[in-house]
Amino acid sequence: MIELLNVTKEYQMGDTVVAALRGVTSSIAQGEFVSIVGPSGSGKSTLMNLIGCLDTPTKGRYILAGEAIEKLSVDRLAELRNATIGFVFQTFNLLPRLTALENVEVPLVYAGVPRAQRRDTAMEMLERVGLPDRARHKPNELSGGQRQRVAIARALASRPAVLLADEPTGALDSVTGEEIMELFQALHSEGSTIILVTHEPALAQRAERMIRMHDGEVAEDVRTGTQSGRTAERTPKGVVAPPKGVVV
Amino acid sequence: MRGITQWENTRISVRSIAGSPIRSALTALGVMIGVAAVIILVALGRGAQTQVERSLNSLGANLLIVYSGEPRGTALVRSNTANIRPTLTEDDLAMIRAMPPELVSLSTPASTANVQLKFENRNIAASVVGTGPEYPDIRNFQPIYGTFFTHADLERRAAVVLLGAQVYRDLFDAGRDPIGENVRINGVSYRVLGVMEEKGSAAQDSSVLIPISTFQRRISGESNYAMISIQAASSEVMHEVQAAIEQQILRLHRLPSMDYADFYIANQMDLLSTVAGVAGTFTLLLASIAGISLVVGGVGIMNIMLVSVTERTREIGVRMALGARPRDITAQFLTEAVVLALGGGAIGIALGIGGSWVAVNMARTAAEVSIASVGAAFGFSVIIGLFFGGYPAWRASQLDPIEALRYE
Repeated sequence: MIELLNVTKEYQMGDTVVAALRGVTSSIAQGEFVSIVGPSGSGKSTLMNLIGCLDTPTKGRYILAGEAIEKLSVDRLAELRNATIGFVFQTFNLLPRLTALENVEVPLVYAGVPRAQRRDTAMEMLERVGLPDRARHKPNELSGGQRQRVAIARALASRPAVLLADEPTGALDSVTGEEIMELFQALHSEGSTIILVTHEPALAQRAERMIRMHDGEVAEDVRTGTQSGRTAERTPKGVVAPPKGVVV
Repeated sequence: MRGITQWENTRISVRSIAGSPIRSALTALGVMIGVAAVIILVALGRGAQTQVERSLNSLGANLLIVYSGEPRGTALVRSNTANIRPTLTEDDLAMIRAMPPELVSLSTPASTANVQLKFENRNIAASVVGTGPEYPDIRNFQPIYGTFFTHADLERRAAVVLLGAQVYRDLFDAGRDPIGENVRINGVSYRVLGVMEEKGSAAQDSSVLIPISTFQRRISGESNYAMISIQAASSEVMHEVQAAIEQQILRLHRLPSMDYADFYIANQMDLLSTVAGVAGTFTLLLASIAGISLVVGGVGIMNIMLVSVTERTREIGVRMALGARPRDITAQFLTEAVVLALGGGAIGIALGIGGSWVAVNMARTAAEVSIASVGAAFGFSVIIGLFFGGYPAWRASQLDPIEALRYE
């Protein structure tokens, strides 16, 4: 699904070149639930932006769903974001003037899906996140947890290959955050590929696999004991994690 | 991937505009005023043009005037020919009267002089016009009271006079019947036959009319005429008549060409087209001034759109993350600008038509709303939206989605 080959990302900061990613190699298979952790400045946001096709690597290859994105046009990148990636943001990023249903419809609008079909799909997604009765509400009429559910419904609307969540519980209280994490786990058990970017180790442990970033490199790529909460085996950095079930 | 439709873009724009109605109204205000100004000023220009044409037509239908002397200005009617040496002869008049009725319907000579008018103890300076009985029909200038002098009066050089409206007011007390009273012109007594209608032109209202034969005998002592007024049979033959008369008078006066002519012909048609041209230029000038305000209105739209793009950076980032291509963002903001401009334009058209109505019905000004100006104003609104919305829309599309999502 996702293959990163020696990916480097450099930014020009005045006279100096800052490397945000230094040769990251990793791969994520379909149906995996992966967390990316690391302190700020570790490169995890850059990695997320690359995976989300919001940015392209300076060097190296990134293959998403069989397509090498490093040479794609801005239009094709937009189409990939639309069809292949579902974004969930920390601050929800719902459009304030649109109702919950209309917010969920936005990716389908850009996909050119006809209105009636769009309505049906969006309603289906709202049902899936448990908010069918809030369809006509504006974001400011919803609680934080409800807003994040709407945002997740929106991310799911175009049935993307990958759900990319950036600190999805960061703006929520712990109880609501827990509900959102349960929703992600439910989506995962239904077969969604989920990438969760967080700085909270406890949350990262909820994924099946954890990629820890440090100084623009993969410091650790481990399987986590999702059910038991035990620490999983360590794998050498940059190496693909062992298949599901191989837990020491 | 089919992409977003323009219909969806329009829906997004309309919702965004409706979402902040006061700001949208203020944004569109400039275009609104600009469009209204274009329509009202063009309507006033056209109204003035129509009014001038109407007053020119009131001088007579298909009028040609042969004047003695050098061409002077573009005036069809010269108020005073008293200072010009008359060069038009009886032969010239006979030649014109011999022209077939398909070309010339009516003709009459005229000369003027400045005189003293006296009635009882009142004494005024006025201009006296000696002419023929065809004059009222040719010049569309009829007695409002009494009757014009006849061919019989002309034959016998009768001392009869018709008073201009102003002359009557100056010489007679209001309501006094002037008919049959004797007015003295340069000391000679004339019997008043009637009063001419008021034309609103000082030259006509402040003159008196007497038979040309009487004028020649008693006032000028000159057998030539200062001018000959001609009514052509139709507007189509006016240039033909003018050319024929020029040629004939040159021959009669033994002159080689119009460069040496001691006469010239003023043509109502030419004057009308000159006036129409002047009025057209004037209207265009007014429309251009109003057009500037339309451009200023466009700058207003650009200004607010730029602010709007900055304010909605986050929204743009979200839309890009969700799959909006740069061109989709461009289309969204461009559509918003065009919808704003069109909305302003539509209200401006309503204001313009309403304002023109007020000018006509309340301010008693001539104004004619032209369909072309309404169409042009509408078209301009679209162009202004596209032009002044273009840069903000392009700026929006060039945002980096990562930066835009991070924007607070």
